[in-house]
Amino acid sequence: MIDSLGLLVGVLLLLILMVLATKGWMGARQLHDPPAGPNEGELPEPCPREFVSMVFSRTDRDFVHGLNSRGVEQLFQRERKKVALVWIRQTSALVRKAVSEHAFAARQSKNLDFLKEVNILGQFLILITSCWILTIAIQTAGPVWLSGLANYAQRLSQQVERLQGSFQAGILATAKGTRVT
Amino acid sequence: MLGQLIWWTSITLEIVLLARGFYNRLMYRYPIFYSYITLVLLQDIARLSAYHLKFSLYKPVYWGTEFTGLVFGSLIVFEIYKVSLAAFPGAAHMTRNALATVFVIALVKGLLDASAGWQPASAAPEIERALRAVQAAAILALVALFLLYSIPFGRNLRGILLGYGLFVGERVICLTFVSLQTHNFWFYAYSASYIGALSLWIGYLWSYQPNPQPRAGGTNLDDEYQRIATATQRWLQGIRGYLRREVRS
Repeated sequence: MIDSLGLLVGVLLLLILMVLATKGWMGARQLHDPPAGPNEGELPEPCPREFVSMVFSRTDRDFVHGLNSRGVEQLFQRERKKVALVWIRQTSALVRKAVSEHAFAARQSKNLDFLKEVNILGQFLILITSCWILTIAIQTAGPVWLSGLANYAQRLSQQVERLQGSFQAGILATAKGTRVT
Repeated sequence: MLGQLIWWTSITLEIVLLARGFYNRLMYRYPIFYSYITLVLLQDIARLSAYHLKFSLYKPVYWGTEFTGLVFGSLIVFEIYKVSLAAFPGAAHMTRNALATVFVIALVKGLLDASAGWQPASAAPEIERALRAVQAAAILALVALFLLYSIPFGRNLRGILLGYGLFVGERVICLTFVSLQTHNFWFYAYSASYIGALSLWIGYLWSYQPNPQPRAGGTNLDDEYQRIATATQRWLQGIRGYLRREVRS
């Protein structure tokens, strides 16, 4: 176990440093005055809402499918995939920008809150991983299928929640009944 | 023959590195790093003498000097941390906590492994591999935080970090596969990894280049930090909801 863990750490370190050496990261960075960071209550969106909702929507796909033209359908799928990938890339870039603006302020602060930083780092990693997963899913199956899968997962989790609720209610009712008798 | 070549090449490169460090006065800016190189040069000479004059002494001399070098090497990580984060107290605070976490995990793991059973026959290479893995994890954590907080590096410090990090990473990999009984590929790769690091150091430390410093007298970041951190947290939460909502729409 320690062998494979140590090996993994060694390989990871070697790879990261090789990329650093070849890409020149950490190198010629200019030290600007820190930007103000994201404003409270403001959520800049990478694309207009009505535009994004159409990318993952089934309506257009059903319409194109109804035309019974394979060529048009293929073209539609290709274009939708491209638009969805651009949206994911923009979202990912926005997340990276927000965290790097925050890092500018955090690195020089003497009152840094360790737990807050860990929380921000965790959220950042979740979001970047989500973007990677979404990119792979869109590349392999397309945005409409992804939307269907997300809806299915949501319905499933709601069903599980309902079942859990009725199960707990049943247990409570049984417990009350036992106490009464 | 190949072993002798690696040996003499290392000694030559160490002398060149030390001479350049003395000439361009980098020795006074990075005293721990140059003390480490001096120590490794002395240990190379001691090993070479033991190998040629009294071979029975070679093994104890080898492992004794190897562990001294390993301890001194850890101080290089400390020097990188100290020099690079001197102007960034926030990032330094995070790095201290991250390194402490790495060492606590390594300590717990070491204790668990020791309680599972200790085999003195293969102790020295095993201990070196475990310690090098801890060093590698510490450097990895350090590099991750440097990237996250966009810490600017001068050419000299970047060279020290790259050279030592690549050397440690390669050592960890080689120590997993190396056999000290037979001289296979991993044996020579293990010995030659240091030559790679030395060449890199000579290239990066040939002349002095100052580390970039942040401008003084900017915005009061201590007052700003809490506001920005809270806003970033909220913003990231918002964007998570946004991603979920749009994909389900």
